[in-house]
Amino acid sequence: MVLGLARVEASLLVRSVLVLAGLLAGALVIWFLIGSAEPLWWNVGWRIGGGQLVLGMAVLAVAQLNAGRARRDGLAALYASFPATAGTRAFAHLIGLAGAAPASLLLIGAAAVVIQGRGAIGSASIAVLAGGLLLVIAAGAAGIAIGARFAHPLAGALGALALFITAATNHLASGGGIWLLPWEVLQDDLSQLPGPLAGYPPAGAHALELAGLAVLAGIVALALTVGGARIRGRLAAAGILAVAVICSAGALQLRPIPTAELNHLVTEIADPASVQRCTTASEIRYCLYPGFGRDLSSVQAPVNGVLAHVPARPGQPLTIRQATLASLDETFTHGHPERQISRWNAQLQGAPGNAAAVSAIYLSVGSWPAAGGQLADARFDVALAAADWTVHLPFPIVNGQPCVPLNQAREAIAIWLAILAAHPPAGDLRDGLRGPGGGLTGTEVGNTMVQTWNYPGINAGYLTGVVPQPTAAGYLLAKAMTSLPEQKVSQVLDDAWATWLNRHTTDAQLATALGIPMPSVPGLPVPPPGTATVQGGPGNAPQNPVCTT
Amino acid sequence: MPWITLLTGCLAGTFFLGVLAHVAGASYGTLNQASVRLAFLPAIAALAFLLRAPFRPLTQATPVPAWVVPAGHLLLAAPVLAVTCWAQLRIMAHTVPPHTLGHPPAAYPVIAQLTGWCAITVACAACVDRARYADLGGAIAIPVSFAAIALAWYAPVTSRFLIEPPASALGVTTAWYAIAAAALTLTGAAMADRWHRYSRHLRVERGFSRRGSGRPTGELPEPAAAGARPAGR
Repeated sequence: MVLGLARVEASLLVRSVLVLAGLLAGALVIWFLIGSAEPLWWNVGWRIGGGQLVLGMAVLAVAQLNAGRARRDGLAALYASFPATAGTRAFAHLIGLAGAAPASLLLIGAAAVVIQGRGAIGSASIAVLAGGLLLVIAAGAAGIAIGARFAHPLAGALGALALFITAATNHLASGGGIWLLPWEVLQDDLSQLPGPLAGYPPAGAHALELAGLAVLAGIVALALTVGGARIRGRLAAAGILAVAVICSAGALQLRPIPTAELNHLVTEIADPASVQRCTTASEIRYCLYPGFGRDLSSVQAPVNGVLAHVPARPGQPLTIRQATLASLDETFTHGHPERQISRWNAQLQGAPGNAAAVSAIYLSVGSWPAAGGQLADARFDVALAAADWTVHLPFPIVNGQPCVPLNQAREAIAIWLAILAAHPPAGDLRDGLRGPGGGLTGTEVGNTMVQTWNYPGINAGYLTGVVPQPTAAGYLLAKAMTSLPEQKVSQVLDDAWATWLNRHTTDAQLATALGIPMPSVPGLPVPPPGTATVQGGPGNAPQNPVCTT
Repeated sequence: MPWITLLTGCLAGTFFLGVLAHVAGASYGTLNQASVRLAFLPAIAALAFLLRAPFRPLTQATPVPAWVVPAGHLLLAAPVLAVTCWAQLRIMAHTVPPHTLGHPPAAYPVIAQLTGWCAITVACAACVDRARYADLGGAIAIPVSFAAIALAWYAPVTSRFLIEPPASALGVTTAWYAIAAAALTLTGAAMADRWHRYSRHLRVERGFSRRGSGRPTGELPEPAAAGARPAGR
């Protein structure tokens, strides 16, 4: 009888409109959480769980509706006259939760296929993916327990909201405690790890916790519906065992990450040369963490495009390497003594990405895009940084304000080189003259408002640090240069390359040499007294220095 | 009037915010308007159950229009929701230290957003009440309305008008009140609609005969001869 009822309940669950809606919503959430960055399996596995959380909310609501069906419809007396007791029905509901598994597995499978298709780095963790499935089952069991006591649909809605709220706020847990929540979405730094960290996050223990919660919820549902002291006694004992398993799993999750693992992680970040694999091409050194080798070609292409149009390179060679976390937060260091944490953070402060280096471009781990328009923007950023290196503009600016190459011809040359190398859409370039609200962007340089140009990808963080803030004048001149024959511009640059690199050589002089009029820059409106200054690019503060090196 | 439902939703959200405030206070953190939005969701969920009139087919036959009851529920719920919103904003403000530099963000855009969310939920509940899922009522209206809210919040086309930044506080307020007005108009139209929108097509057996009046008599056909398959199976 139980199996027959369970089969019916499972089929109702599979065909439920709410569960199907939860499946679609979960897929959308996964798509949103993964974003445009290239997927790293040690990160996206947990993002798939975020979608499972949404599916779990739907399963919880449906399970509560199913469990409370008899009393909600006023048919409790009728159901009591049936051979199947309330306890039998509750047990059947619990077994019928297997009907939620196909939706969960479909979500996992579809997400895995899409992620692999986008060129994921690393390998999937079965424990993390299984945790997502267990989350859905546990949510369903909780719904049955709620429905066994409260038949009103609001109870299921509140239960689903409680599940959602545990993941939607970062006030409930911090440090190692974030892994005790049903599912962690907001506070981890997994996307910035250069590789998987052994034993972190504690996926196995978390799956055990979820399994314990599912069993405990089932026991509560049965305890509310069965009669008989002996059965209740056994359920109580099983409940105590489930609580013990949950507490043990919680304790396992709260264990500090082994010191050796964190030492290795800090070394990977602070001394990347010890682990990164370096390649030299065209005298440019590319250093990437193991597993990221597939990014080499997409980074080399814009740099080679810049170098192809440069008559001479600077004396100091260029290195392009990946950089990541500037410090370890409490999610990594919980349980370790303060002295050790300070030592690690001091080590990380000396990481290459945190220091202003003369001839290095740092790519942020976890932000390089997989494909599409964002990849084009990232390539442009690399091209612009490489072009700044060739024209001796200072970069990257870390922990400070970017300088502005005000009225310097080398700025327009750098932008021109980057456009030739990366071929960004003209619309994206033009949009950089306007801020998000449609107004002009500017910054104050030497008590003068200067209109700036926000290059594609300026806010995306593909590079660690920021390149000098380009001006609208420099962009407009570079745009005018692109409309000239490339050979003509190259000839003019080759003839007096050292002159063009001089910071005193102006945009007007370059325009005259090219035989084109200097493009006019629309003036920034004078803001009324007492209002804020117009917005600028990242790192723009009220005063920016002029680039002098 | 389902007071218990409404008060349960309002108190659940306020209690949750109180817990958050306590946890934030213990770690010297503060709450922000995002916490208030989260905490108000249970109250909005409860709102989805207020429009359900269990005896609507009966009340439709009375001289009093059927929409009077759900409209009355909404009018009675409005001050309760207002008090809940006020209480939650007070809890949030209580976590901010008194000598914080700068002005706290204005509350009127949040109030407009929550008003819009309530109106969307009520409109969804009114529409669901006219659909085939009327018996489940709020259980269907809640996910539909929350999905609509999430779509409006995160879709690039709408988010630039409904979220600050990039929209201004005044723009956000105007947009959400406009949405609320449209949703309430839809609610009024749905509540005033007298006709059920769900129907089950009756399968009429071919053997039913129709007499002069055209109404089926309900007589089954004569049993078929032995060995022949019965009609309809």
